[in-house]
Order: sequence, then C-alpha cells, then structure tokens
Amino acid sequence: MMRDQVGAPPEVLEEMAYRIRRLSMEMITYSRWGHPGGSLSAADILAVLYFDVMTVDPARPDWEQRDRFVCSKAHAAPAVYAALALRGFFPIDEIYTYCELGGRLEGHVHRGGLPGIESSGGPLGIGLSVATGMALGLRSKELPRPRVFCLLGDGESNEGNVWEAAMSAAHYHLDNLIAVVDYNKVMAKGFTWDLMGIEPLADKWRAFGWDVLEVDGHSLAGLQEAFHQLRWVRPRGRPLVLIAHTVKGKGIDRAEFNYKWHTHAPDPETADQMLRALARAYGRPEEGYSRLGLEHSKETFYGGE
Amino acid sequence: MAGSDAAPELEMREAFGRALVELGQREPRIRVLDADLCTSTKASLFRDAYPGRFVQLGIAEQNLFGVAAGLALEGFIPFPCTFASFAARRGLDQIAISICYAGLNVKIPGSYPGLPTSRAGASHNCLEDLAVMRTLPGLRIADPGDNADLLAIMQAAVATPGPVYFRVTRLTLPPLPRTALGFQWGKGVILRPGKDVTLFGTGMMTSLCLRAADLLAADSVQAEVVHLASVKPIDRELILESAGRTRCAVTAENGTVLGGFGSAVIEVLADRLPVPVRRIGVQDRWIESGGIDELFTLHGMQPSDIAAAAQDVMRARAGQK
Repeated sequence: MMRDQVGAPPEVLEEMAYRIRRLSMEMITYSRWGHPGGSLSAADILAVLYFDVMTVDPARPDWEQRDRFVCSKAHAAPAVYAALALRGFFPIDEIYTYCELGGRLEGHVHRGGLPGIESSGGPLGIGLSVATGMALGLRSKELPRPRVFCLLGDGESNEGNVWEAAMSAAHYHLDNLIAVVDYNKVMAKGFTWDLMGIEPLADKWRAFGWDVLEVDGHSLAGLQEAFHQLRWVRPRGRPLVLIAHTVKGKGIDRAEFNYKWHTHAPDPETADQMLRALARAYGRPEEGYSRLGLEHSKETFYGGE
Repeated sequence: MAGSDAAPELEMREAFGRALVELGQREPRIRVLDADLCTSTKASLFRDAYPGRFVQLGIAEQNLFGVAAGLALEGFIPFPCTFASFAARRGLDQIAISICYAGLNVKIPGSYPGLPTSRAGASHNCLEDLAVMRTLPGLRIADPGDNADLLAIMQAAVATPGPVYFRVTRLTLPPLPRTALGFQWGKGVILRPGKDVTLFGTGMMTSLCLRAADLLAADSVQAEVVHLASVKPIDRELILESAGRTRCAVTAENGTVLGGFGSAVIEVLADRLPVPVRRIGVQDRWIESGGIDELFTLHGMQPSDIAAAAQDVMRARAGQK
C-alpha cells in the first residue's frame, strides 16, 4: 500500500479538527442559531477531507482538476465553513457573518458566492443526486482524476431520494463518487432506532451496489487510512460509501449523544465554558468564547435543552 | 435553424424531440436526461441521435433533477425530461433548491401539461405547474403557442444562462400568425389588434383566443389578442398598454386559474390598472378523465367561453363608467 501518500501529519489534523469544533461553536453562539450536534460529529471527517484527502486549491475554487465536495447534510454548515476558512478559502473572521443578513454564510450551505461551496442544500436527501450528476459530468468530460465526495447524515437515509441516487450511481459504475455517512445515531428529535430504524445500514448500501467501508469517524488515523485505501487499493467500477461511526455533538460534553443539541445555540457564558472544556480535552491552552460580551443580537435562542 | 423551418403539422412533442436533436448538434454541452418517458416526451429522438449524451435515470424524478443540477455544475446544459406533473409535484424540492436556488443552467421541459393529457386523469393532467414554478425566484418560464414558438423558446433557453421551465403539449397546434418579433424573454406580441377587449393568451390557449376573436368579430366586437409565451418574466408594458386601451381583459391558460398565468396578468393590472378581468382556465377543482374536447367544454375553456367572458368584462367595464 502506498502509505507514503498520506499527506497531513496527525498533529495538523488534530489541530484542524479542534479548530473546526471551536469555530463551529463560535459561529453558532454568535449568530444564536445553528446545528451544533451534526457539525461537531462531522469535524474529524472534514478535517481529514480538507487537510489530507481532497485536492483543492483555495486560490482557484473552480479549478477543474479539484476534488468536489457536496454537503448533503447542509445544516452542518458551520463545520464546513470552518474547514473552508481554515483551508484558506475565505478570511477566518468572516465566520462571524454566519446567518447574518448580507453575508455569504447562509444558515444551510448555499452556492451563492462563498468560495468552496459547490451546491445548495437544506432539504435532506438531495445532495447525493447532485454529487452523482457531478461524477457523471466528470466522466463525460474525461477527467479521471477529480473525485466527488458527498457528506450525508444518517437520519438523511430515511429519505427516498438518497436511494434513488444510490441506485443510479451504482448503475453508472461511478467509482469517482465517494459518499461519507456521518453516522452519529441521533436525529433532530431522538435516536435513529426510535424514530426510524436504518439498520442494517451497510447491508443496504451493499445491496444497492456500493462498496462499503466502516470506520471510526473520530479516529483521524482511521479515516486517513480508509480514504487512502479507497484511493489506491479498491477495485474499480463501483461507488464507495464510508460509514463513519460518530457521536453527535462530539467534543462538547453536554451536547454529546443528545438530540436537544441538534439545533441549539448556547448562551455566551455556556459557550465560554464549553470551549474552555474543549481546549482542556484537546490539551490546548484554555481558550474561551472569543466574543464574550460582544453580543450583537437580542433575539432569543432557538431551540434549547 | 430559422423558426419558420419548424414543421407546424407535427405534434408539439415531436417538434420538441427534433428541436433537441438540432440544438444538440450545435451545442455539444447539451445532455438529455430521462425518467422512463422518452418515447412519450420524444426525448428518444435525442437518445437515438446522441446516445452518449443521453442519461437514463429510471422512474426517479427527484434524482432526475438532482443529477441535472450536478451536470450543470460541471458545465453541461441538462434537459431533465419528464411530464409536467412529475416536475411540478415530485421534483419541486430539487428544482427549487438544487437547481433554482443555486442558479444553475438547467432547462426543464414540462411535457403533457394541462387538459390535453385528458384520459389519464387528474394525476397526469398537470394544472399547477405554471403556478408553482412562478414562485421560484430566477426561474424563467415559457408556454409556447405553436411549434415555431417552441423552437424559439428552446433556442432562447440554451442562449440564456440560468434555469428555465417550458411547457411542451402533446397536441398538434395550429401555427400562430407569425410576427417579426419572434420569442424574447419578457416580451409578448399582439397577434390581432383590437380596441374593445384584450384577450391575453399563453401556450395553446392563444390559438383559442384567436378563434374567440373571430366569434366576437361576428358580433362586431374588435378583440385584441396578445400572446404572452414568456410567462416569467411577463411583459408588463404590453399588458398595461393593451389593457390601458381596451379597459377590460380576459386571460386564458391551459391550467388552474389559481396562481398561474392569469394571476400573473392580474398582478400586473392590480398594481397599476384595475380593469375588469375574467380568467379562463380550470377553476379550483380536481379534473376527471375524459376526451380533450369534452374537458375543454366542461371547464369552460372553449373559444365560445372565451368570447362569452369577453362580453362579460365589456359589460362590467360599461358598469364601471
């Protein structure tokens, strides 16, 4: 195996995962709106994608040879924006325009001028079709190098559109398409097994003609290994899904595995405590909420414990 | 490929299939996508001409529109083809968010719109597509009055960046009187000048408006017939100019009167020129299977109904004075 192809050193990925989590909570706290649970569960996946796996060039967001990324679970926008800002697609300070009138960082990811965002989303289930179309388009243009990555939620797999897309991607043998399921076991109002059982999830994807890898979605090395394995080792002719077992709200104690933090903005003082705890957990110098006392909005918090 | 080359004796769906092939020859970025209806929509003609540029997606319209969005993102000009019913109802979310919100260059034909789908019943006789599509910002909408119109609309669609929805009826439509203007977004044409009442038509209903104008002429009423193939953007100036002269109007559309073409005309008039208007189209009810002519009679959409509505608004105008 071409293990030497693995790019980013572990400490870089860990730092980026930490910063994606921090920035996500900063955005959600400052705007007083957002989805912490599904942003935090995807942080490690996004760190590995943007800082190791995907070939992108922030100076050329439309570069034809880039790897494409479609965020089907578009409510994880804070984590995606954090990854893009850290990767250099736009200034980090711009994250504080998240959900602000006149800004480029919409509440759900949107192709509206923000570099690095390929497509618009929000309604669950629609992203894999767009990714399938991109993968078909790349093949039609005879561009063999770029791949299309699509981040899906697990609750999203309740949606029929996901399986329509899965069927078509296998039918067209799209081996340039890689889906990643952020399998955090928690939906908006409870656990997947209570609301709508999706198991056996891996068997479902296999039955639809996909290759399946299961991985610990919080193991940076495990994710790296899985992505590189799919790039260099696997047989061609089939799309691949990486089922990443994750924890909703990962990294923020009270949000972990807790559906009440699917959509919820902490008050600034709580966010400050959360971020200090997060820093300690990562072994970083204690660092709280950066905009404590700088609240700009008096709107009430959305959702809540 | 001048508009006058279109063969008016063809069913419009056949003209659609041929136009796809012609456009495909000139524009290599065109891709035609199908959801198992291609020999009905006549997208099959493109499949036969360019099999490598045709994508079969099976009976899965949500995926049809999502894949179209993805192909547009890669620089192609996709035509995701299905019946208007399945675009406006099943595929609406994907059309709205994946295509229109993202501003993508997708051209959506809505085949078999309105009553001419007749015997298939309410599920397949799409009445609401104009109403639904009109609510999507950035989406251009057109309903062709004949085959030449359709060809011009498809040429304009390919030449205009961004999403487009246009209707393709299954019927053979009589050719409209040709005008020098042809089709332009946001431009209507006066096909028959008159001073007593304006008949605003779109799609196949324009030819029925012309027949209604003949009926009215027998009663010494000079009806002006305005064809508005571009439903969005709509020709505000022409609507205001014509209705400003006649001071009363009838709209006619092959679909529900709720929120569609007639509503678009009324919105323009209500802002600036509140004159009596009657809307010809299906009222707020589910339709049933039947023959085409029977259905047009039942729903009050025949030329005689348009003429009667014209007399009605002229009386209302007299009452206003």
